Parts: sequence; structure tokens; C-alpha cells
Amino acid sequence: MAIALDPGRTYTAELRSTAAPISVWHAYAVSFAAVCVMVGVYWDISWHMSIGRDSFWTPAHLVIQAGGLIAGLSSGYVALKTTFRGTDAERSASVGFWGFRAPFGAWICIWGCGAMLTSAPFDNWWHNAYGLDVQIVSPPHTVLALGIFSIVIGALMLTMALQNRATGAEARRLALLVSAVGGLFIMNFAVFITEYSERMMLHGTLFYQIVCVLFPFALCGLSRAGKLDWSATASAGAFMGVMLVLMWTIEQFPATPKLGPIYQHVGHMVSLSWPLWLVVPAVGIDWLRRRLDGRVSTATLAAVLGAAFLAAFMVVEWPFASFLVLNPAARNAFFNGNNVVYWATNAYVAHTHQFIPAPSAAVFARGIGIALVYAIGSSAVGLLWGRRLTAIRR
Amino acid sequence: MSKRWSILAVGAIAVVASAHVGSPNVIFDGNAGPYPVRVVVRPPMVVPGRAEVIVQLRNGVDPTVKHVMIRPVFWRAGVAGAPVGDEAAPVPTARATYSGLLWLMAAGAYSVYVTVQGTRGAGTAVVPVMSFATGRLGFSPGLAILLALLGLVLVAALLTLVYAAVAESQLAPGEPLTPARRRRARIATAVALPAIALILFGGAKWWQSVDAEYQRTLYSTPKPTIEIRSAGGQNVLDMSTLDPTDRISALIPDHGKIMHLFLISRDGAGTFAHLHPTQLDSTNFRLTLPPLPAGAYRLFADVTTENATSLTLTSAVTLPQGMPGAAAGDSDDAWTTSASVPQIAPNAAAALGDGFSLAWTGAADSLRAGETTDLRFTVRDANGPVNRLEPYLGMAAHAVVMRDDGSVFIHLHPMGTISSATQAVFALRDRGDTTRTGHLPSADVTAAQQMADMPLGGTFAIPYEFPKPGRYRIWVQVKPKGRVLTGTFDVVVR
Repeated sequence: MAIALDPGRTYTAELRSTAAPISVWHAYAVSFAAVCVMVGVYWDISWHMSIGRDSFWTPAHLVIQAGGLIAGLSSGYVALKTTFRGTDAERSASVGFWGFRAPFGAWICIWGCGAMLTSAPFDNWWHNAYGLDVQIVSPPHTVLALGIFSIVIGALMLTMALQNRATGAEARRLALLVSAVGGLFIMNFAVFITEYSERMMLHGTLFYQIVCVLFPFALCGLSRAGKLDWSATASAGAFMGVMLVLMWTIEQFPATPKLGPIYQHVGHMVSLSWPLWLVVPAVGIDWLRRRLDGRVSTATLAAVLGAAFLAAFMVVEWPFASFLVLNPAARNAFFNGNNVVYWATNAYVAHTHQFIPAPSAAVFARGIGIALVYAIGSSAVGLLWGRRLTAIRR
Repeated sequence: MSKRWSILAVGAIAVVASAHVGSPNVIFDGNAGPYPVRVVVRPPMVVPGRAEVIVQLRNGVDPTVKHVMIRPVFWRAGVAGAPVGDEAAPVPTARATYSGLLWLMAAGAYSVYVTVQGTRGAGTAVVPVMSFATGRLGFSPGLAILLALLGLVLVAALLTLVYAAVAESQLAPGEPLTPARRRRARIATAVALPAIALILFGGAKWWQSVDAEYQRTLYSTPKPTIEIRSAGGQNVLDMSTLDPTDRISALIPDHGKIMHLFLISRDGAGTFAHLHPTQLDSTNFRLTLPPLPAGAYRLFADVTTENATSLTLTSAVTLPQGMPGAAAGDSDDAWTTSASVPQIAPNAAAALGDGFSLAWTGAADSLRAGETTDLRFTVRDANGPVNRLEPYLGMAAHAVVMRDDGSVFIHLHPMGTISSATQAVFALRDRGDTTRTGHLPSADVTAAQQMADMPLGGTFAIPYEFPKPGRYRIWVQVKPKGRVLTGTFDVVVR
């Protein structure tokens, strides 16, 4: 059977089952780029917490830029190759974009690279207009974060399309790659909410509400879209694993603040706090989804998964936060319960070892109720997104 | 977003700065141990931002000098909380000159510690610098166009991505795009367009709120409340410095006075008064006015807080007709009315009274904005240059520079633009004599103001950088023989 794709050209049905050879190395290259940008972002935040003095050429910036370039240039090459010299298999596994052809994920990576490039002059102006990075979350940093996030999403789409087309051992290998990139996807959200998840905030309803907006979406989507039995668990595990390895590694390196005022004389790179315990609710989401998906409506499934997420997350995060904040046994290199930025005053440091005062029980219950609503809504969107992801083929 | 850019494209907003009005650059002539130095600090417009620091060895090229280190010290954190210093690099185009950039990360009182190391040992000069955001950079048209174009491309590409996500991305390789799927993709793109517009609108609102918050934190001169009344045959000026932003904490004396108040007539009458109110309590001051002509005056009042902040308070006052004059409330008070004011030029001289005159002995060339200049004068009597001046408020000379529109005002000395009281506060802080919540005894501050090596010859130079071109008036106050005399010059700065 022949299928008309472009006027004047025909493709054989066999092409549909053939993985385009260019796609595999490209998926790995872009996944590596996604690792680079996320490691670079982590390193950059640590740099700002410990050394402070910034330039275009800090090692952390170079790693982020390398990630952006690997993703952008490899995707650009794939687009040119597919458009002008592509085999029939490559062209048939691509989507059109302003007259060019490339896999869908490649276009997202190129867009991300463009957003990162756009953020550079914008951020430079911002620093000169309002001062250097008074806040992490600023408009130009949001453009940069969108660019970085797009590289991770592009990697996810590329690997997802290959996973969805592949069979046998290759399918399992690609499913593992999807889950690993899924871990970076989760890490993106986790890093972006750093300022809302400081350890003394971990008993607050705002923290739970923010977590419930973001992570049920990510975990439900990945659970449904990954071809592993425990896809969300694998991604959450990858997220926690990467965060822990970075936390334990980075803090081994000596560092001295190069900006003042210095209120804490940190002698080593300061790493981000212990990652959120997302692997526990991920186990619950994978287990429940496999039993209920297809047997109940998406709305019912979302309600069950949202509630399960919040319950499972609170059960582990709440007591762990108590340990991290209050227990001196957490104040060591392993648990990192005593990480401080060099500009934190002693009063602020003392403040990080006690929780923000709790509201009344009624206000707290209302706040957690809102978090539950967010979790259910987020799960529903995640499930719908996961279904779309299973359909990605190019 | 492009509308936002057009709003921002109006250009940099110039706002007055701290221990002075509109003249943020700091110049210090003094010693770093055995090495005489001139230090120029040009603070950034924004905080956090980078200050340019220039260190010049005043005796010229000195082969004994090995390193010049510069270090930013925030008052609250002290030397213990300062980052390690940077080495200032020699400037290839200037003799015996070194420069570097220092990050000022917080708003408030800083000092740049300049340490000169050499075979004659090491010495440090403390140069106080006020760190406040004073303006916001505008958008250049080129940058605005570039960002607008990049933004448009990103939005167009995002819409294409939405279309591709719904259309081809979900097709198996080789599978054709059906009209139904194409229609779905178009609907998705049509829905995405207003969604993206909404996100951009939200982004613009966010930007506006950040900008508004930033504008709120920009430095503005504190405005005291002034009341002038007649009481017991005297003119009394009452001032309240209660400041809603709480910048004016406990004050310390500078040159022995808790406040230096200047009244400068606005109507071209040429009246200038340098007066010293009495402090009644932490925020209230009282001044017995000398016999000044009626009319409108600009009021500037310099104060120094014990956390090393120098501030100039500004106001406008009108002295009514028929108010009786009174003797000076403070023996260091001085005032003058100049009928004719000479322009600064070679051999120009201003009459001082008591048989003295003040001659301009500085550069013959016209003065330029943004360049460090020595305002050089010689006090003369009938026999020529005088050999020695008496100290007036601990200094050989005081100068006040004001632009004719009042947008620049600063009180200068031969040591430069800095307040020696803030320098003393930093020295005491380093010694551990004060804490963030402690109080400094006034006597300690006065004692710590270093005057020992100050030259008191009849010829002196006052270093300054005019911040912008315009017409300026300079009042120079000296005490050649028992009485404070004031000489006045006009100058056009290019």
C-alpha cells in the first residue's frame, strides 16, 4: 500500500515501522544536552549561594550554554539534513515547520535554544536596569527557564516518539531513557520552586499547594506515557538520584564568597537542600493507575491519584521536614540540613531551624483542602497530557 | 510587550543621590599609610551593581609600590564580612594609576578599602561610599527592536509548535494528515493565540509591578519639615527631620557639628549662609537665623548618621520681609551676599573682605563634566599670597558647589567629597567600638576624624568631578585671620 504524503511522492507502508536512523543518536544527544542544562542550573544556583560573583564565563554558565548549543545545533543539523538530504524514512518521521522538516522534539529544542539566546540581551539589560539578580524568578530568567525547560521537553518528545514507535528490547531501552528524561522534567519544576520550598516552609500550606499544582501533573503524565510498569517511580527516582548525587558532590568542592556583605563564611560550595520525596507518591500513582486506568473515568482516576499523591507525599515529607529543620542530626553533609547562603544573617539562619508559625487548625485544613483540589486538577491535566504523549510518533 | 518597551524607551531616569544632591561620584585625597593617594569611586546607578574604583599615586610613578588592592566593606557586616580584595590593575593610559570594579551588593553605607602594598609597608585608605539605586536604565531603540523581533519570532514559532503538536506529531511515519486533524490543529492554534497573549499580558503586568517596586526603592532626598517664625526679636527656623523611610537614625557630628545647613538665595541676590542648628531631640533642630535678606531660598542640610550614612536634606524656604536679624547663633556660622561674582578664569579673584581676596589658580582650560578636576585657589592679602590659614571646622577650606537649577549640590573639602565622620565611623567599627545596635559616643567620632596631617597653607586644592555640564556657583570658605570669609565664583562646565 502506498500513502501520499507530499504531492508527487509516495512512501511504502514498510517505512512506518522503520525507526529513522538519525533519530536515535539525536535523541541521545538532546538527552545529554538536557542533563547539561539541568546540571548547569543546579551548579549555577550553588555558585550564587557560595561564591556569588557572576560572569558569562562561570563554569556553570558554560555547562548551561553547552547544553543549549548541543540541543540547538544538533536539532538544527537534523532539520537541515531531513529537509534537504533526508531519507524517505527520516522525512516520513518528521513534522513540517516553516518549510523545513524535523522530528517534533527537534523543533521544541530549537525554540528553547532561541528563547535562551533571547534571554541573554534581555537579562543583561535587566541587570543593568534593576541590579544583579535581586530575585531568581525575574521576567528574563523566566524566558531563560522556558528555554531550558524546552530543551528538556524537546528531549522528552524525541525519546517519547522513538519509544512509541519501537518494539522489543529497543522499546525497553528507550522507555528507560524516557523515564530518565522525565526525571529532568520533574527536576525543572523542583528547581524553579526553590524559593518556595526552603526547609522552614515545608510545613506550610502554600508549599503543599505549589507542589500539588506541579507534581501530580508531571507524575500522572509520565506514568501514563512511559512504557515501563513503574514509569513515574523511575522518573521520580531519577530526579531524586540526580539531586542527591549533585548535592553530595558539589558540597565537596571548596569555595569562598567573592561578594559581600558576607554574614556566613561558607568554605565550600553550598548545595540545594534534600530533594522533595516525590518517589513515594510516584509509587502510589503508578500502582493505582495501572489498576484503575481504563476501568474508571479519567475524572475519577484523577480524583483518586490526586488524593493519593497528597496523602503519600505528606506522609513522608512532613516528618522528614521535621527531622531536617529541628533535629541537629540532620545538620551534616549527608542530610544537608544546615546549608546556608553566605549572605544569610545569623537571625535568618536561626529562622531556618524553626518552621514558619502554623496557622489555626481551621486555616490549615482549608489550605490543605485547596491543595487537594489543585492535586486532583493537576492529576487530570497530567492524565490527559499523558494520553497525548502516548500518541507522539514523530 | 512592545508597548511596554516604548514606555521604557524614554531613557534613563536621573534621580538625586545621597550625601549631596545629584553628585554621586566620590573623590578622596589622602594617604594609604606611607603612600599619598587619590581615590575616585564612581558608584553604580543600580544596586547590586559595580562601582568603578580608580586609585592614583599622588607622587607619581612609585617603584616601591607592588600591589594596589581594593575591597568593598559594607558597614553592617564590617571588615569581617567583606569579601577578599581585588587587585586593581595598572591603567595603561594614565601614569601611576590603577583601576578595578567592585560589586556593591546591598543598599546603605559602604567603604572602599584601598590598600597599597610596597617595600615601604602596607597602608589602607578608607573611602566611604553611599550605595543607593539612583536611576533605571532605559531601553536603547536598537535593543528594543531586537527584543521585539526575537519575541515575535518566538511567539510565531510557539504557535507553529502547537499546530505541529496536534497535527503531524501524532501521525505514524508516512501517515497522511487528514482534513479533520488539520482542522483540529487549526482550532488548537486559534485557542493558543489568546492564551499566549494572556501569558504575555501577565508577564507585562509582572514587569510593571517589579518596575513600580524598584521606583519606590530609588533614593530620594529626605524632605524635612520647616517652620520659620519670629520669637523674642529673633528669627527662628525649626526643622523636623522625621523621615517615613526611617533612613535618619541617630546622628553623629561631622566637623564638630551635628548639622551643616546651607541657605542659598534663589532670586539671584547672591546670598549664601553656612549655619549650624542646635539639635533639640533626635528629630528636631532649631536655628537662630542671622540677618539675611527677605526672599526665596534653597535649603540644604548635611547630616551623618552613626551607621556611616551621609545624607543631604533639601527644602525650600521663604524669609518674609520685616524679620529682624540677630547675632549668629554659632560662632562658626558664616553668611555673605555677593553683588558681583567673577567667572572662573586665569587670574580671576573674588573679594573676601577684611582686605583678603581669593584667586583662582587652577587650570586655564575650561572645566569638563565627568573629569576629576582640582579646584585650586590662593588666599591673598595686600602683600600677596598668605602663608597660613586658620582651621575652619577642622579644615583649611570648605567649598559648596551648586548647579544653577539646584539639581547638583555638594559640600567639599581639600580631602575631597567624603565625610570624614563616616570615615571615622568605619575606623571605630573596625576597632570593634560599635555594633549594629550600639551607639557611638560623639566625642570618639570627633576624636577619630583625622586632621593631623592636614595642610593649612594659603594655597589649596579641592578635588571634584562635576557630574554634568551646566552653570555652577562655587562658594569657598576660609579663615585667614579670626573670621570666616566667603569667596564666590561662577563657572560654566562643559
